[in-house]
Amino acid sequence: MRTFRVMKTLFKRDFLYSLYSLGYYVAIFASFFVSSFILKNFLDSIGEEDILVSAYPLNYPLYITLVIISLYLVILSGVSISREREQGTLEVLFYGPVTPGSFLWGKYLKDLCLGMVALGFTTLYFYLVSVLTNIGFTMGLVKALIMSIFLISCVVSFGLFISSLTGRIRSSVLALVAILGAFLAIQFAYNALLGFEKESLSVPMLYVRQAMSYVFRGISWISPFAYLSRGLDSVVLENPLLYLANIGYALLYSFIFMFLSVYVMSKKGVKA
Amino acid sequence: MIQTVNLTKEFNGFKAVDNLNLRVEKGDIYGFLGPNGAGKTTTIMMILGLIPPTSGKVFLLGEELRPNNVEVKRRIGVVSENQYFYKEMTAEEYLTFFGELYEVPNVRKRIDELLEAVGLRNDRNKKLGAYSKGMQQKLAFARALLHDPELLILDEPVANLDPTSIKQIRDLIEEENRRGRTVFVSSHLLSEVERLCKKVAIINRGKLLAEDTMDNIKRRLTDTIHMEIELSADAESLSSSLSELSFVKGFTVEGNRLEVHLKTERDYRLDLSRFLYEKGFLILTMKTKEMSLEEAFITITQQNISLLARGEGNA
Repeated sequence: MRTFRVMKTLFKRDFLYSLYSLGYYVAIFASFFVSSFILKNFLDSIGEEDILVSAYPLNYPLYITLVIISLYLVILSGVSISREREQGTLEVLFYGPVTPGSFLWGKYLKDLCLGMVALGFTTLYFYLVSVLTNIGFTMGLVKALIMSIFLISCVVSFGLFISSLTGRIRSSVLALVAILGAFLAIQFAYNALLGFEKESLSVPMLYVRQAMSYVFRGISWISPFAYLSRGLDSVVLENPLLYLANIGYALLYSFIFMFLSVYVMSKKGVKA
Repeated sequence: MIQTVNLTKEFNGFKAVDNLNLRVEKGDIYGFLGPNGAGKTTTIMMILGLIPPTSGKVFLLGEELRPNNVEVKRRIGVVSENQYFYKEMTAEEYLTFFGELYEVPNVRKRIDELLEAVGLRNDRNKKLGAYSKGMQQKLAFARALLHDPELLILDEPVANLDPTSIKQIRDLIEEENRRGRTVFVSSHLLSEVERLCKKVAIINRGKLLAEDTMDNIKRRLTDTIHMEIELSADAESLSSSLSELSFVKGFTVEGNRLEVHLKTERDYRLDLSRFLYEKGFLILTMKTKEMSLEEAFITITQQNISLLARGEGNA
């Protein structure tokens, strides 16, 4: 019970502080700006061709919005432990009743709630878009928004894990950029290799392509952004089992990364 | 209150703390001394459970320290060497935050009392980023006392303070000790330790060299007691008879002032007084010139002298 009180106190302090920070709103409104641009192009093409071909016209703009908000949240959670390590405030907290578990779950809840507030703004934004453009605010969009909560959970737990490994803000940011950059580069290279006809590739290149496919599959279970794509795809596929399975995967992913974060933090300690 | 048993910490083969055995009793003001790099902060970090020892055990408040034993940590207050704060907070917000963490009852009243005691009442709404080092140190004290801990662990508690603030903090420590709190102080300021502490431990290169009351440490370091005596008349005539006294190791005479070096087997002050009286001198003042803690500290650490009995302190 006392652990929950400690978590609540840590959560409250951090949540209110983050909620008053400008960067949070800049990220949300940047995501709306990019989505609006995509929507404008989409509406222009509907105007030109007089036909709406998608059953989920708002899902792609939602995906882009979520990617931008998730990028902000992964950096926010990615520096949250290293910042306190670097500033020494972590040490002071650990003189008292704070443990790696209560500290990390407090941070997790804070970032998850920030994500949920951002999703609240997102819902409002898409509702307004739907009213202004007559594009339906479909059940598919509602499902996607619900799924987004779990996907944000993946992003936050991944960010916290990276932060638990690092002692300074700069190393956290560099580690995040390097890891996410590597994920993107592998995905790009794999897609590029897939673009070639099998017959046109030499034997070594075929082996490379095969190896890349294994790496890509592995990454799709490690990268939180892969869960984002898979989760939103499950909405489009209208398969309730797949939808629930993706929620389950996201929860499992979050718990595994949170468990690892607590373990790493216990081992690494409070010093930068 | 604190006991370490063969506490050892190695960093890449280098022993920062080597088989350290400390014992801090309830009600002590215990000074923990050592030159820079002696292993004081590493020891404190292990006592607080913030770094794991390579071997050995720590007992805090009668319980063996285990990772995440927060119930024990709730009963101790810590002021570290460097102060770390959430700079965007005010002093009041900062103490309220820690009051909630420690579940302090009547937290508002307690904050008022402590801010008054450390002299920060008028700066309670100032952002901590604007606080001077001395103010930060005082606020760290208020934070450490907020939850009424049984044990205070202070690492260089007055390092950044001006003389007035040093006195304020010293009075506060003494007051808290009078109220039954045990205090463990690590400090470079030997004069402060000498004024405050009843018992001290001296470590060097990770090893405990001495652990005793201040008087015992000084006594064990010297084989001569220096007496300064002011007499009623010129003492030049005493020179020949003084050298015949078996308990006198040496002396100097300057007018009516006499400095005598006595043996330490027992207290020879009465014998000396009687001798002077029989020679027709009256004693106006007589005082023992004591070795300061600074002198004792330098002697012990520079010569790496161990004042511990075999098997004591370092295993």
